[in-house]
This record gives sequence, C-alpha cells and structure tokens, in this order.
Amino acid sequence: MFDFLIQGFGVALTPLNLGLAFLGALLGTLFGALPGIGPINGIAILMPLAYTLGLPAESSLILLAGIYTGSEYGGRMSSILLNVPGDAGAVMTTLDGHPLAKKGLAGPALGLSAVSSFIGATVAILGLTLFAPLLAIVAVKFGPAEFFALMIFAFASMSAMMGKDPLKTLIGAVLGVLISTVGVDSGTGVLRFTFDMPELYDGIDFVVMIIGLFAVSEILLMLEHAFRHDQDGEMAPIGRVMVKLSEVLYCKWAILRSSVIGFVIGVLPGTGASVASAVAYTTEKRISDHDNSFGTGNMRGLAAPEAANNASAAGSFVPMLTLGIPGSGTTAILLGALMLYNINPGPMMFREQPMVVGGLIASLYIGNVMLLLLNLPLAGVFARVLQVPRWLLVPSVAILAFVGVYQLHSDLMAIYLMLAIGVFGYLLRKFGFSLAPVVLGFVLGGLMEENLRRALSISGGDLAILWQSGLSIGLWIAAAAVAFIPLFAGRLKAKFLPARSA
Amino acid sequence: MRHAADRILSLLLLGLAAFIAVQAWHLEVPFSYDPVGPKAFPLLLAGLLALLAVVLFVRPGPNGEWPSGALLLRLLVVMGLLVVYAALFIEAGYLLITALVSVAIAWLFGASPLKALVGGVLLALGSYLLFTYALGISLPTGSWIEPLLGAN
Repeated sequence: MFDFLIQGFGVALTPLNLGLAFLGALLGTLFGALPGIGPINGIAILMPLAYTLGLPAESSLILLAGIYTGSEYGGRMSSILLNVPGDAGAVMTTLDGHPLAKKGLAGPALGLSAVSSFIGATVAILGLTLFAPLLAIVAVKFGPAEFFALMIFAFASMSAMMGKDPLKTLIGAVLGVLISTVGVDSGTGVLRFTFDMPELYDGIDFVVMIIGLFAVSEILLMLEHAFRHDQDGEMAPIGRVMVKLSEVLYCKWAILRSSVIGFVIGVLPGTGASVASAVAYTTEKRISDHDNSFGTGNMRGLAAPEAANNASAAGSFVPMLTLGIPGSGTTAILLGALMLYNINPGPMMFREQPMVVGGLIASLYIGNVMLLLLNLPLAGVFARVLQVPRWLLVPSVAILAFVGVYQLHSDLMAIYLMLAIGVFGYLLRKFGFSLAPVVLGFVLGGLMEENLRRALSISGGDLAILWQSGLSIGLWIAAAAVAFIPLFAGRLKAKFLPARSA
Repeated sequence: MRHAADRILSLLLLGLAAFIAVQAWHLEVPFSYDPVGPKAFPLLLAGLLALLAVVLFVRPGPNGEWPSGALLLRLLVVMGLLVVYAALFIEAGYLLITALVSVAIAWLFGASPLKALVGGVLLALGSYLLFTYALGISLPTGSWIEPLLGAN
C-alpha cells in the first residue's frame, strides 16, 4: 500500500529534485518573510517560470510545494519582528509573537516557532501519508453525481470557514466559476463569452488569471499601503535564535493539539492556513490560558498557530491529491499547475501517476527537515529581507509577472488581459472579497459543469441522480451542515478572537 | 456611506447576471448529445449570482477605505505605467523598458530620485542576466536596437 512512498523517495532523492526542494524551501521562506508576498503570490509568480524551464511534472510540483510549505515557515518572521503578518496564515502569530519580541525574546520566539512549525508539518505529512491512499480508495467509487455533490460541499465549507463574509465568499466563488465558462464548450464546440476574440477561445489562461489576480492586484495594494503608513515600524532586535528544550516541552500539548487541528482543517476542502491558525489559537487559549497571558507574549500562544498553519498546508494536499479538490487557495493553484501538465488530479492519480504523488509526498518530508535546518540558524539572515524596501520589491514583482506571462504566451494580449484581471482583483479585494474562493471557483468550475452534465446525461436529464447514492446524500447533508456554521460562527468569533489591530 | 459601496456592487452584479443570462440564452447550439447542453450551466450561475446580489443589497457589509485624491491618482499612474510597460515590452526591448518602468515605479513608491535610478537600472540589468543566462529565457531585445547593431 505504501509502494508509492518508496517509489516517491526514489524520485525525490535524485539530485535535481533535492536541489529543487531546497530551492523551494529557500525561496518559500523568503516569499513568506516578505510582507505582502505570501505562498499564493510566490507560487503564482514562479509557476510559469517552472513550467517554461521544461521541468518534468513531479519536479515542478516539488519546487512549488516547497515554496508553499516554506512560506508558511517564513510568514512568522514579519509577524514576530514587525507585528505585520507576512500572509493571512500568520495573522494569529502576531498576537503573542510580537509581544515576545518586544520583551527582547525575539530569538527564542523565532526558534520556538520554527520547531513548532516543524512538528506541525511532520504530524500532518504523516497524516497525509496514511490517509490519502485510503481516501483515494473510497474516491475511486465516485461517479459524476458524487463529484458534483463533493464540489458543492467544498464551496459550502469554504463559505462557512473562509473570509470575513460568507456571502462574499460565495459570490467570489460564483464569479470564479463564471470565468471558467469562457471559451469553447468541450461538449458541443459552442463558443461561450468569447466576444469574437480568438485569444479567448481556449478560455482564460490559468497563469494569466492567477498572476493578474494576485501579483498585479498586490502591486496596487502595496502602493496604497506604502502611502498610508510611511513606515512599517521598528524591527525588534533578534539576538541569538535558539530554543530551549524546556520551552518546547512547556508547549508540547499545545503544539500537538494544534497540529491535529491544523491537519483536519487543512483536509477540509476550501479552507486554509488562516482558519487553521485561528481555530488552533482560540482552542489553546480556552484550554491552557490559565493566567490570561495569551496575547501578552505566551509561548503557547505562539506555538499553537505556527504548528497549525504548517499542518494545514500539508493537510490541504490530501483532498487535492485524492479527490482533485484543492484544500486551500494555494493548493488550487498547484492543482492548476498540474493541469498545465495534462495531469488530472483525482483518485486515479495514486495508480496512474505514482511518481508524481509519491515524489511530492516524499519531498515534503525532505523539505520539512531542510526548512527546520534553514530556519533555526539562518532566521536572522532571512529576517534581513524584511528590510527590502517596497520601492525595490514592487518593480521586482512586476518584472516577474510580465516575464512569466510573456514566456508562456509571447503575446501582448495575454499581458493586457493579466493587467485587466489585476484591476478586477484589486477591486474585489477592496470590496472585501478574498481571492481564494475566486481561484477555487475558477479551477473547479470546469470540472463542476462537466460532472453535472455527465451525471444528467446518464440519467437522461433527471435531476434525481444527484442524490441517489448513499455517498452523494452524505455529501449533501455534510454540505448543508457546514453551511449552517456561519450562523454560529459570528458569536464564536466575538467570544474567542481578540480584535485585530491590522 | 460605508454600505453604499456594497449596494453599488450588488447592482453591478445584477447587471452582470442579466448580461450573462442574455448571452447564454442566445447561444446557438447546433446539436447536443447531453440533455443539458452548454446553455444551462451559465443560466444557473446567472440565477445564483442574481440571488446573491439581491441578498447583498438587503444586507450590505462594511467596506474598507477607498482611495481618493492623490492616492487614487498614484494608483492610476502605476496602472498606466504597467500598460506602457506592456505596450512597449516587445518594441522597446526588455532592458530599456524594464529599466524605465522600474525607475518610475521606485520613484512613485517613495525612493529618492538617485536611489530609484540606480535601483531600477540595476534591477533591469540583474533580472536580464538572470533570465537570459541562468534560466535560458529569451527576452525581446527591441526593434530599435537591430538597425544599430546592423550599422556596426
């Protein structure tokens, strides 16, 4: 049953893939540390380059996955040192991380967060190794009706858990699905929403969409940010990065609980690191905050969200690899990257692409050790990138975006489209949308329509096929159950989440 | 006031839903093997979007701050610069246009003119070397440079 893992280590241990895992870990930590460039931006920017370098699918996925897991490590640095979360998953890390740094404990805080990140990721990678093959066996039984119900479940759990506003999460997802309908309809050859532009016949290109949505809109947001707050505040002095065994032992239950929470939330389709770290933090606050010191620099308050966000990153690979449904916005992009290689992730992948699945999972083990080794002694070096001025960062992002798209298309239309999508993404973000649901809708839209239409053509148009099997009924019930969470979520949030200063 | 933005958005979304519905309705499907065809899915989405837009109109949420005045102007200038970057990317060649745009953006983001100049030029040169030599990516050299090279 674990043949894929042995095969995977064979793939991951080749010099090229080891090098790429290391490069991914390094770049990911850097991207995570740079304020404003999280895992999604990092991957969006580098994906076209990885693709044009002609790397085989598994190598390119190893690089991109390294960037993903690496940036969950890196995100903590600006949280702790500057009180500015490097990405959405690191918001909760500011709550106790920055107070620790202000007390002069930045070094131990960085050390402890690296160790708890490592433990969280390790627990989750083990979970991935154990559960993914099992889930894949169940998922082989899925027909089009079950897949359609599963996607409804994914959108329901996403709207319940992600973003401030469930309504806008849903609207974002619908917009994403709508964008996916542009182009030639594969069933009939009919042109939909192409407005007689041949460039749109193949649909909106995935890379153009992702880079526009994230990188270009980020440029505009960074400009706003730079203009509103001229300085990002003083960076706390780091000192020696180290962690005492006694400190890790003090946090051991917090770390283990949060790792499990992070993994489970990561597995749920559509939810990512930000939810995982928030739930872990509030849970830990309830269980182990005996003297009300959470928020003032409690080590456990730092360890919990860090373990959880790293665990959720590994966990979100489970639905992506077994069902073809991404567990987070970032895995949605990885899924799109696989599709560039004409690999359709899903239950058959363990059988048909054991090199890719196994190589990826094995590289997560390897990359995680590399990340620990990189992040303990070198945290101080990485922290320097926090001082890269925005005026240099922004043109760099623009350059990478342009070269990435140009490389794939050598076509000015693609670049203009990228810019237009960038403005669209910026507006969405200003209206309070998160972009992950849009990406998820965009990636899943095609599959969703295909499965719906296939199911209905099996039944000759009878909608009842959508809820005829026990499995699909279960998924519809799960979707309905999850959809009711937001009704209580507001109350829960008010109770446990302290007000954010960002 | 803070809710006004969401109300405007909901009207825009309603308009979009109507537009999609009309477009989808007028799709001409020559023949179709499956009972649903390419029309139904966009129509379904348009309906869903319209429904959500109505809910948004009834229950708008608070929005963030919208840029105005000088900030809005800067945003437009940066967008304009990016469009110029795109328009001249092939004509002017990667090195020249990247340097110009980088300097301009750096300056807009508050670098002193000297820093912007040095930083932008180095960024263009460095990225050019990285892309062409380390990554083997071919970048446009620019049509203006070829006659110069030919003359030599």
